[in-house]
Amino acid sequence: MEANISINYFAISSELIVVFTIIATIFFDLLLPRKSKFYVALVALLGSLVSFIPLIFQWVNYENALVLFEGSYIVDKFSLILKGLFILVTYLTFLLSINFIESDRYYQGEYYYLLLSSLLGALVVASSRDMLTLFIGIELASAPMFLLSGWKKGDQKSNEGAIKFFLLGVLSASLILYGFSLLYGLTGELIFSEISKILLVKNLSTSPAALLSAMLILAGIGFKISVVPFHSWAPDTYEGSPLPVTAYLSVSSKATGFVALMIILTKIYPESGSSWGIVLVIISGLTMFIGNLSALQQSNPVRLLAYSSIAQAGFILAPLAISGISGDYEDGIYASVTYLIIYAFMNLGAFLVVNVLINTSGSNDIYEWGGLSKHQPLTAIFATVFFFSLAGIPPLGGWFAKFVVFRSLLSSGEIFGITLAVIGAINAVIGLVFYARISKIIWMDAPSENITVTTKNTLLSPLKVVGFISLAITFMAGIFPNLFSYLGNAASLFLNS
Amino acid sequence: MEIVTNNFEFLENGLGLSLVVFFPLVSAFIVAILPKKQELLIKLTALGSSLITFILSVIVAIQFDYSKAEQFQLGSKLSWIEAINSNYEIGIDGISLPLLLLSTFITVLAIIYSFEHLPEPKSPKGMMALILILETGMNGTFVALDLILFFVFFELVLLPMYFMIGIWGDKTMRSVAGLKNEVETRLYASIKFFVFTLFGSAFMLLGFLGLYFRGAKTFSIPELIELGTSGAFTGTFATLVFAVLFLGFAVKVPMWPLHTWLPDAHTAAPTVGSVLLAAILLKLGSYGFVRIALPILPEQAKAWAPAIAILSAIGIIYGSLACLAQTDLKRLIAFSSVGHMGFVMLGISSLTSIGINAAMIGMVAHGVITGLLFFLSGSMAHTYHTRDMGRLGGNMKLLPKTGALLGFTAMASLGLPGLAGFWGEFMALLGAYNPLPGLNIAIFRTSMVAGAIGTVLTAGYLLWMLQRVNLGEPNEEWKDKELHDADAYELAAWIPLVILTILIGVFPKLIFGSTNDAVISLVTKAFGG
Repeated sequence: MEANISINYFAISSELIVVFTIIATIFFDLLLPRKSKFYVALVALLGSLVSFIPLIFQWVNYENALVLFEGSYIVDKFSLILKGLFILVTYLTFLLSINFIESDRYYQGEYYYLLLSSLLGALVVASSRDMLTLFIGIELASAPMFLLSGWKKGDQKSNEGAIKFFLLGVLSASLILYGFSLLYGLTGELIFSEISKILLVKNLSTSPAALLSAMLILAGIGFKISVVPFHSWAPDTYEGSPLPVTAYLSVSSKATGFVALMIILTKIYPESGSSWGIVLVIISGLTMFIGNLSALQQSNPVRLLAYSSIAQAGFILAPLAISGISGDYEDGIYASVTYLIIYAFMNLGAFLVVNVLINTSGSNDIYEWGGLSKHQPLTAIFATVFFFSLAGIPPLGGWFAKFVVFRSLLSSGEIFGITLAVIGAINAVIGLVFYARISKIIWMDAPSENITVTTKNTLLSPLKVVGFISLAITFMAGIFPNLFSYLGNAASLFLNS
Repeated sequence: MEIVTNNFEFLENGLGLSLVVFFPLVSAFIVAILPKKQELLIKLTALGSSLITFILSVIVAIQFDYSKAEQFQLGSKLSWIEAINSNYEIGIDGISLPLLLLSTFITVLAIIYSFEHLPEPKSPKGMMALILILETGMNGTFVALDLILFFVFFELVLLPMYFMIGIWGDKTMRSVAGLKNEVETRLYASIKFFVFTLFGSAFMLLGFLGLYFRGAKTFSIPELIELGTSGAFTGTFATLVFAVLFLGFAVKVPMWPLHTWLPDAHTAAPTVGSVLLAAILLKLGSYGFVRIALPILPEQAKAWAPAIAILSAIGIIYGSLACLAQTDLKRLIAFSSVGHMGFVMLGISSLTSIGINAAMIGMVAHGVITGLLFFLSGSMAHTYHTRDMGRLGGNMKLLPKTGALLGFTAMASLGLPGLAGFWGEFMALLGAYNPLPGLNIAIFRTSMVAGAIGTVLTAGYLLWMLQRVNLGEPNEEWKDKELHDADAYELAAWIPLVILTILIGVFPKLIFGSTNDAVISLVTKAFGG
């Protein structure tokens, strides 16, 4: 191999900016006196915002996918969209964190550079096209989260959640690696396109070893996206983590896992779709049911959202599962990514609401939140919008997300697709019951006697920004879903690159 | 007329209809950002915008070309979601026009009534905004000519109605099977309403997608009607699609046995909520049958018609028997809706132009009459603080104006000839006597007989209700109480409905003039009859 690797720095400028921001936050954290650690947050915010800019240039000047590092790293429209999503979600998480981290008198710097490192991992995943890069990306995205989920050091639940998360995270990493090692043994290649070519040529696509590797990788990533039966850590970890971290876990970490799954399934195993498709169909159906039925019984808002996000993962997985069976990957990816994007913002919004309402009421029991709309009218409106959007009620964005999923499930006319669509429809109704419950409590119930509302009625302005951005995207997605039409194109480019 | 056609041409290309749909939504936003303390301003803004919407809909009705009532008119088609070929396609024909007018009209009355008569917590701001959002959903459903657009509007009504019932609804406690503690009626009723309807419409959406994939990948209702009438949808697939569409629409109508949400929701809702629910929301379901299910899936409609007729007949008998068992005035009226909508569905199931015309006039008449009944019962419940008919009595002496109106409306509701309720019932029975050739005559004639028995029972429970509530001597407990008869706001909301009841009763052509050609065209195209 020749040594002159020329790197297209323009293609990876977002990643580079994030790297510089990480270094900058470490330095600022070391240099600044305790009083002005606040600036670390500003650096992180600014850095994540700046890292968005190259994406715009790359998008506007897009001609062909940029191939780097011998095909290991590809910048195409698909990855640009997802990188944009990851950066925006991280930015909003920072905004959510500002008052949260401050209020606990913790050190600041680590928090920001850990979150930025996780972002870097997510960015790498979106572009990676070989096993090493992908694995490094996945682990870079999740390892900082082990630390962040244990951020509340004095809290037993936080410790418990973090330990569970860490142990299962290690297990999942080893499962993925085991799967990769099998693949490497079979083909002797690292790059996905080569692996898939060799599997096809040697007629190994449906060989037991290849399928075993697929199942191992699926199980490993199943933990990251917390689908049944790999979901049990999620409620505990979500409950123990600081809320902004939980929001990030349930949105960005989940999205990273899904992106990795999409890339692996369509780039390595496109030929054995009918095998893994059926497994995913079962997982998806179970995930919806178990997530929703468990959420129905929760009184803790964070656990409720944890189970809700498990159920939502079932919806995101469904089109992928069916695309494996029907072979129409473009439609499946379009539906899953559309759902993922809309889900990201409505779920962030939901976490914002929960964050504010827990602070206002001082209670972790939603049944104690009666009549909070009087104290927090704006938050109550946010709650209505985001929770009903999660339930999929038009004209809020969630309906279009569910709609594209149903459309993709029914497009092939296969019995599996129809079954999953019926399961999805039933689950949409189950979901409504607990999503509507929050609105019911804060708008309709009488104020609880045990609660003394402490904080003032105003929302902090960073939180307002998060709320309004998520609100705007939720409404736009529902009323002008045409915004997502470019995704179809991006999906087809992604598959053919 | 001349003035309108000459001066408002710019409204003809879909703008008029779009304004009828979205003007209330914009007004709802304005109402929402007005300061809470400016109650009068809020109320006047809401009233003004609902009036403007009503006037716009009247202009549309004048611009409408009644000689071509079977065609979709005054609409437009704009690109909306290209990726799935769903468009912002709107328009009205003779079938949707009367319902659109009914919707804009009732909304004005609901807002007038809400000026002074809001239950706790008052908050006119919230109520006005919700009514206006609801109006957008209702009007939108009647003008939408794209299945996805239809679905979005169809669902848009859920949220405002949910909050209306849940916030302003009945606060008495009730026990619910399966729950240990008693819950407030409003909370139980609101979520039950929401869950039932969403259950139906979630499956309905799957049905729409089925039509999309088997048809020409289009959601356009006119295009799908063309495809459907030319026999594009057949076999098990079409049967399944009809089944899920049936589920979606029948929950909304509601047809027996999917009706159980209705008595709870109607009884628990605040007065304006019940009025809007009965007058308009129920029509979304029956309208869905006429607009979508029948013309797009004619063969399946034929196959299902006897089943629909039987369910309708059961609904009529069940509704009236349930009414006879009620002690709660509002619940009685709620159950009467099950019976009346049974007649509407019986008319539709006959698949003849007489039957569907009967359904159309029946829908409007039910909207007007039952709307008024809910106004009256709500107002009485407010005055007496009870809806228990055992404690009421002598209403004519205590509240002469309300009592007289109640007597009149009950007569209209039982189908007295000369008033609006007559045509729908009479013609539905006529339609069922002579259904579309090829349908099982025995089933339809049996249903007709059941319906006829139903009319007798309807007369029975309404007269009994009048006897218990209106006539006789007032109960001891009201003797020394200061009771207020209808005030100006109430009369302003009620009198127009009384006039409309008489007008439609005497000149049914007001409705048929619009619907007849459209219905005949539908029946000819879909069923060749």
